[in-house]
Amino acid sequence: MRGEAANPQMTTLLQMRGIVRCFGAVRANDGIDLDVASGRIVGLLGENGSGKSTLMKLLFGMLAPDAGTITFKGRELSGHRPAEAMAAGLAMIHQHFMLIEAMTVAENVMLGWPQAGHWLQRKTIAAQVRDASARFGLDLDPQARVADLPLGRRQRIEILKAILRGADLLILDEPTSNLAPAEVAGLLAILRRLKAEGRGIVFITHKLPEVLDVCDEVVVLRAGKVAGRAATAGVSRATLAEMMVGRDTTAPHTPDARPPGAPRLVVRNLRGPGLDVSFDLHAGEILGVAGVDGNGQLELADTLAGLRRAEGSVRLDGAEIGRATVAARVRAGLAYLPADRARTSLVRSMTIAENLSLRDADGFLLHPAAQAADARDRMAAYDIRAPGPQTITARLSGGNQQKIVVARELGRAPSVVIAHQAAWGLDPGATRFVLDRVIALRNAGAAVLYISSELEEVLAIGDRIAVLSGGRFAGVVARAEADLGRIGLWMAGQAA
Amino acid sequence: MSGLSDGAAARLTLSRDNLLPRIALAVALSLACAAALIALSGHNPLTAFAAMAAGALGSAHQLGVALNKTTPYLLAGSGVALCFRAGIINIGAEGQIAIGGLGAAATALLWPVEAALPAILLALAGGALAGAAWAALATAIHLFRQVHEVLVTLLLNFVAILLVQQALAGSLGEFGAGFLQSPLMPHPVWLPRAIPGLDAHPGFIVGAVLAAGLSWLLWRTRFGFSLRVAGASRPAAAYAGFSVGRITWGVMLLAGALAGLAGGIEVLGVQRRLIEGFSLGFGFKAVTVALLGALEPLAVIPAALFVGLLEAGSLSMQRQVGVPSSLVAVIEGLTMLFVLAATVRRRAG
Repeated sequence: MRGEAANPQMTTLLQMRGIVRCFGAVRANDGIDLDVASGRIVGLLGENGSGKSTLMKLLFGMLAPDAGTITFKGRELSGHRPAEAMAAGLAMIHQHFMLIEAMTVAENVMLGWPQAGHWLQRKTIAAQVRDASARFGLDLDPQARVADLPLGRRQRIEILKAILRGADLLILDEPTSNLAPAEVAGLLAILRRLKAEGRGIVFITHKLPEVLDVCDEVVVLRAGKVAGRAATAGVSRATLAEMMVGRDTTAPHTPDARPPGAPRLVVRNLRGPGLDVSFDLHAGEILGVAGVDGNGQLELADTLAGLRRAEGSVRLDGAEIGRATVAARVRAGLAYLPADRARTSLVRSMTIAENLSLRDADGFLLHPAAQAADARDRMAAYDIRAPGPQTITARLSGGNQQKIVVARELGRAPSVVIAHQAAWGLDPGATRFVLDRVIALRNAGAAVLYISSELEEVLAIGDRIAVLSGGRFAGVVARAEADLGRIGLWMAGQAA
Repeated sequence: MSGLSDGAAARLTLSRDNLLPRIALAVALSLACAAALIALSGHNPLTAFAAMAAGALGSAHQLGVALNKTTPYLLAGSGVALCFRAGIINIGAEGQIAIGGLGAAATALLWPVEAALPAILLALAGGALAGAAWAALATAIHLFRQVHEVLVTLLLNFVAILLVQQALAGSLGEFGAGFLQSPLMPHPVWLPRAIPGLDAHPGFIVGAVLAAGLSWLLWRTRFGFSLRVAGASRPAAAYAGFSVGRITWGVMLLAGALAGLAGGIEVLGVQRRLIEGFSLGFGFKAVTVALLGALEPLAVIPAALFVGLLEAGSLSMQRQVGVPSSLVAVIEGLTMLFVLAATVRRRAG
C-alpha cells in the first residue's frame, strides 16, 4: 500500500505514475500507478488482457509509454531499452526461460553478461554460482547441463542470473504455471529469502493461493486500470477473485432468456492430453466457458474442430464426428473461430477474398471472379472495411481481420459454433459486432460454445456458464444461478 | 511435420516492393564487381563483356546453345519453385536430374523402339518417372520418419550421383571407353533441332509450356491454393482442412518428375549418352533460379534464361578473351548472390 511505502524502514524502489499505453483504439494501460518498496513482494493480478504484461514491458523498456513516468531507485527511466533496464537493476524472469540447454549452469550465467569478462573465468563464475546458490537455497550445481535439469531448477538459473547481475527488483511473469507443487513451494521459499535481503519483487500470477501465501500486497488490474489494491493480510480469496473479475457483470450483450431446444452437440468422455470433458450443447443455447487460460481451452476448441486427436464421442445432430476430418466437420455444419488469428484462422499474406474462401472445399478449379463478387457481398454484409476483396489481409486492423473470420464461419449458417476468444483484442465496437452475430445465430437455433478468459463476457453471453480447470469442467450453472464467488473459486481450483 | 521444417519453410519469402529496380541494381553491381575482377586478372573488362554478349546472343548457334543450357534450369527450377511455395525446401533436384538421366538412358538402351516420336516419349517418360521415384523416396523418409526435408533431399543427391556412376561402371557403361559413360543413344531417341534456324532442341519450349501450366495450377486450382496456404502457415492449412502430407506428395512428385525430365532431355538432346557428372550443379542452380524467379513458375522462365545466357556467354568469354574458367564461375556466383540479396529476405518471426 502506498501508506506503507512511506514507512521509513523501507525505501521505495519503483514508482510508476499515470502510465498510459494505447494499441490503436484499445487503452491497454490507462493511468496505472504502481509502487514497489525494497523488501516487499507485490502481487500483480488480473485477467488476460487486463494490461499486466503491457505494464511490465513498459517498465522493462520493451515498449514506450504514451504518458506517465517511471522512477527507479530515485532515477527517472525513460526511453530506455531492456539492456539499460537490466543495468539499472531490473530483472525479468519470463514464463519461458531464456537458457541454452546444451550449456552448463555457469555457462548460461556468463552468457550475455559483460561483467563475466572477455576471457572465460569458469572457476570464478562457478564459485559465485555456488556461493549465491547456498545463500538463497537454490541448490544449483554450476557444472550441471541445463538439459538435464527439471523446469523448477531452470527457473532458478534465471533467478540466479538476476541475483548475480545485482538486480534490486525482480519481475516474475507467471513463474509457477509450469511447476509441480513441490517446486512451487521451493520457489516461494526462495522469494522470501530474496525479500529478506531487501530486494523488491513483482509477482504476476492468476493463482490466488500463492498470492495470499507469499505477497505483502496485491494490485489488481482490470481493463487497463487499477481495479483495487490491498494488503494481503486480512484479505480473502473470495475478495481477491471478485476484485479480479469485477463486480459489474451487466453488459449490453446479454441475450434474452429462452428455453433450450434439443441437443445438437453431444460430447461424451472426450479425452486427450490436458482434456477430459462430457457435455451437451442445445439448439438455441450459448454455453459460456470461463477459466484461466491454459486450463484446456485450446485443447477443447481444437479437438472439437478436428485439429487435435482425442478419444471419446462427439455427435453433431446425431451423426458421430469424433473421428471425422476437419473438412467433414465443416460440411456437417461445424464452425470454428480459433483464438489464434495470426496463424490459424487467417493467412495474413493472402487477400480478403482468399481468406473468405479458405474453408470452401468444393471443386478443383478456383473461380476468381465469382470469388471476388462473393467477397464484395460479404464485406458489405459484415462491414469489413477495406479498399477491396484483393486487399492483403495483414493490412487490415485486428477488428476487420476478425470480421473476415466471422463472415466466413458464421456466414455459412452453421448448426454448431465453437468460438474461442472471439472478441480478444477487439475494440468495443468490433466486440459488440462479433457478439451480436453470435447471438443472432443462437436465436436462429444454432448451438454455441463460447470460450473466453474474459469472465464478464462469458457471464454476459452464456445461457449456461461452465468453468474449465485442469482440462475438466469444474462446474456448470445456469446464468441466473451464477455466483461470482463460486465461479472465482472454480477458476482458481487447480491451484487450490 | 517436424517443427523445424515448419519454421524453416515459413521464413523464406520474397520481398516484392520495387522488385524491378532492385534487380536492375543487383545486376549493375554484379557487373561492376565482375569488371573489377576481370581488370585485376589483367584483361579489359569491356572486351570481356563484349565477348560475353556475343557468346550468348551473337549468332543463331550461340543462342541455341544458351537455350539448351537454360532448359534444365527451367524445368527443375519451376518444380523447385512449387515446392518452396508449399513451404517444402526441396534441395534434391540435383539427384533427381541425375536419376532422370539414368532412367531415360536405361529406357532408350534397354527398350529400343524404331519410330522416333514413341521412342523419345518413352525415354523421356522413363526419365520423368525415375526422377519422381527418387523424389518419392525422399518424401517417404521425410513424412514417415520425420526427417527434415532439406537433409533428406540433400543427402539423397550424393546417393543418386553414386548410383549413376555405379550403373555406368556396370551394365549400362560402354566397355573400354576409358571414361564412365554409356554407349551412344540409339538414333531414334535423339532430340531433333526443333526451333527453325536455331541450334536448339525443343526442351526450352517444353519447359516454358510446363512452367505456364504450373503457374495455372498454382493460381487457378484448389490444389494450388492449398499449397500456397500450407506454405504461408501450416496451422492455417490444418484449419482449412488441407492435408499437408498430400500437398507434400503432390509437389514433390511433380518437382521430381520435372527434374527427371530435365535429366532425360539433357541426355537425349545434348550429350546423346549418359556421362558421369553430366548434370553436375544443375539441381543447385535450379534452386537459385527458382528464387530468382520469385517462386513464380512464369517468372522462372526469364530467370532460367538469364542464367543460361550468362553461362553460354561466360564460356565464350573464357575462350576468346582468356579469362580463366575459375573466374567465370566466380562472376556467375557473384551475380546470383547480388540478385538473391536484392530479392529474397527472411520474414521476421
